[in-house]
Amino acid sequence: MRKFLAKNAPGYVFLAPWLIGFLFLALGPILVSLYLSFTKYDMIGDPRWVGLSQYEYMFTKDKRFWKSLEVTFTYVILAVPARLAFALMIAMILDKGIRAIGIYRALYYLPSILGASIAIAILWRQIFNIDGVVNAFLSMFGIQGPNWIANPDTSLYTLVVLAMWQFGSPMLIFLAGLRGISPELYEAAEIDAASKPRQFFAITLPLLAPVIFFNIILQTIEAFKTFSSAFIISNGDGSPADSLLFFTIYLFNEAFKFFRMGYASALAWTLLVIIGAFTALSFFASKYWVHYENEKD
Amino acid sequence: MKKFNRRKILKGMAIGTGGVAASSMFGTSAFAADDRIRHFWWGNPSRDERTYKVIDLFKAANSGVEVSGETIGWGDYWTKMATQTAGKNMADLVQMDYRFLFEYVRRGALLPLDDYFNNTLFLDDFDKSAVSGGIVDGKLYALNIGSNSQVCIYNTAMVEAAGAEFDPINWTHKDQMAVAQKISESTPDGVHGVDDATLDNVMWEVWSRQSGKPFYGPEGTVDGTVADLEKFWEHWAEMRASGAAPDPEHSVGKLGSKMAESGVVTQETAMSYMWSNQIVGVQSLSKDIIGAAMHPHMDGGDPGQFIKPSMFMALTRDSKNPELAVQYMNAWVNDPAATAILGLERGIPASSKVRDALAPNFSDAEKVSVDYFNAIQTKVGTLSPPPPKGAGETQDAYVRVATNVILGKTSIKDGAAAFIDEANSIIDRAS
Repeated sequence: MRKFLAKNAPGYVFLAPWLIGFLFLALGPILVSLYLSFTKYDMIGDPRWVGLSQYEYMFTKDKRFWKSLEVTFTYVILAVPARLAFALMIAMILDKGIRAIGIYRALYYLPSILGASIAIAILWRQIFNIDGVVNAFLSMFGIQGPNWIANPDTSLYTLVVLAMWQFGSPMLIFLAGLRGISPELYEAAEIDAASKPRQFFAITLPLLAPVIFFNIILQTIEAFKTFSSAFIISNGDGSPADSLLFFTIYLFNEAFKFFRMGYASALAWTLLVIIGAFTALSFFASKYWVHYENEKD
Repeated sequence: MKKFNRRKILKGMAIGTGGVAASSMFGTSAFAADDRIRHFWWGNPSRDERTYKVIDLFKAANSGVEVSGETIGWGDYWTKMATQTAGKNMADLVQMDYRFLFEYVRRGALLPLDDYFNNTLFLDDFDKSAVSGGIVDGKLYALNIGSNSQVCIYNTAMVEAAGAEFDPINWTHKDQMAVAQKISESTPDGVHGVDDATLDNVMWEVWSRQSGKPFYGPEGTVDGTVADLEKFWEHWAEMRASGAAPDPEHSVGKLGSKMAESGVVTQETAMSYMWSNQIVGVQSLSKDIIGAAMHPHMDGGDPGQFIKPSMFMALTRDSKNPELAVQYMNAWVNDPAATAILGLERGIPASSKVRDALAPNFSDAEKVSVDYFNAIQTKVGTLSPPPPKGAGETQDAYVRVATNVILGKTSIKDGAAAFIDEANSIIDRAS
């Protein structure tokens, strides 16, 4: 025990703020929500045990549950690669060593900080409105754009663009990764007359693979949890016509609008399992494309 | 220990202080210095300002009494309310809506007011019909603090400029189409006669009453028919085709918008559908003089409207000082200074005495509001029982299907059948 403490104490000290919060604030509600997922509970009365029936309803009868999965998966599949590609591009430009790089880094990071805010979501509504900035721009080319947000066919893409714009945190991680690649490799490639794209695919990408993998995991989890921007842009209920019915929006509505706390808890646990499965799958797949430099082949 | 004694103590207190409190409405207080009550309501800036003024008035007249006001928008109100109910931490007095009243009463969250009747709470000047709206299972649980009805608010200047004329209390859907067309023609491009009602479930419910099949039957079942809904949506498709109503994308873009963004306020349309207690608010946001019309009728048919309590005030089971809370409640509806501040903002007051006292000082908009209320008295139907559990969810489903219909992604026929079907399963699941 003493040995264990001596070895790990500093780690636990650093972990303490999170650990204390988790044990005393989060753990209780998490366990209660697991219990509630097997009950019917409308907050006014008492929870009533119903066993697995809510899960059964979810998978067999609830069309909106499937719709919310469709919306969320479409978003994850589009937004995560788009954001990462954009982040990598900007990181590579910044890595070239521009003057006053600190300022640019801060500037490019700014949208990520603002992105979760209500103000940006409201701004986004304005930008993609029928008489918003986007359509004003299009009209210069004689194109009459639709009301992007009010149209169920396009509303989800406005959120994908919003996600792309918030590339700050993966960009910083990419930048750190790029810095870690030895310049000698590029010099050697130059001598061998390798083109820039070839250098990118033969050197940058493979060596960046662990960082890309890390970003994919992080961004995928975040994309599954998208809430505040979608909540504002969809009037809180996934409109128009459920085209923005993210899983989290559906969950929120079930819990706090229709007061089905039990069912909402069941949804939350389902989301946890989905995210867990996705992450496990990514880890499994990573064996085939991610190589760590200190790995012995 | 709390649980053990609270009720008994309260009972004792109620009896002990009852006599003293009843002796004067605003006299010196018989309460200890730590007496405090909480009042929780959904509001808007004007309503909040008026309510805080009344709270200050009550505190000034009852030294040592602390009243704290809590306000939040309608959308978040019920979430906060349910959370506080679950946490056994409800405010002493809460604003109630007709739709949720029965639910809260039957779960034991509210206390009946019968015991306070004629000793702390005086309702002599109240309209009988207004009081009866707050009775559940034979007991009075909620005090009417205003009544309203559906209304079509219109811009009188735009109607006049178009040279259109109509009887606001007696007009048909055809009349409305003609008026709205004229307005669309006489105004610049992009301005139309009337908001599209396709996405408006209140309008659909009025239409279904006009058709003789109220959307919710007396037992809380879905009685509205697919055929009637088809006719309703077809009528509005015709309204769009004739130029009377704006294009679909405009209407979808307006979903969830606030009063300040409504067509009649922004003058994108000359008429918008609202509730009659909103007349005063709309006028305060408009330069032109506004008028109030009933929803257009079917030829020679029932107008399909009704007068309902727009808001109630109710006493909750978590109140630590119900006697004081009811005293506050009484001042709210009877004290001339308080009712003068509150005006018609929450709807038409139920007390004839209060109405008479307010009358000489009515603003123009308040006059419009009261005249409208008086004019429709003989034309409205009886108040139906509150909609069943799940009605709020049905409303969301309606907007969802209607969005697909208005954008042409679903045919009127398929949409109508799909919605009635979905409404049935929502109500089934909720009950």
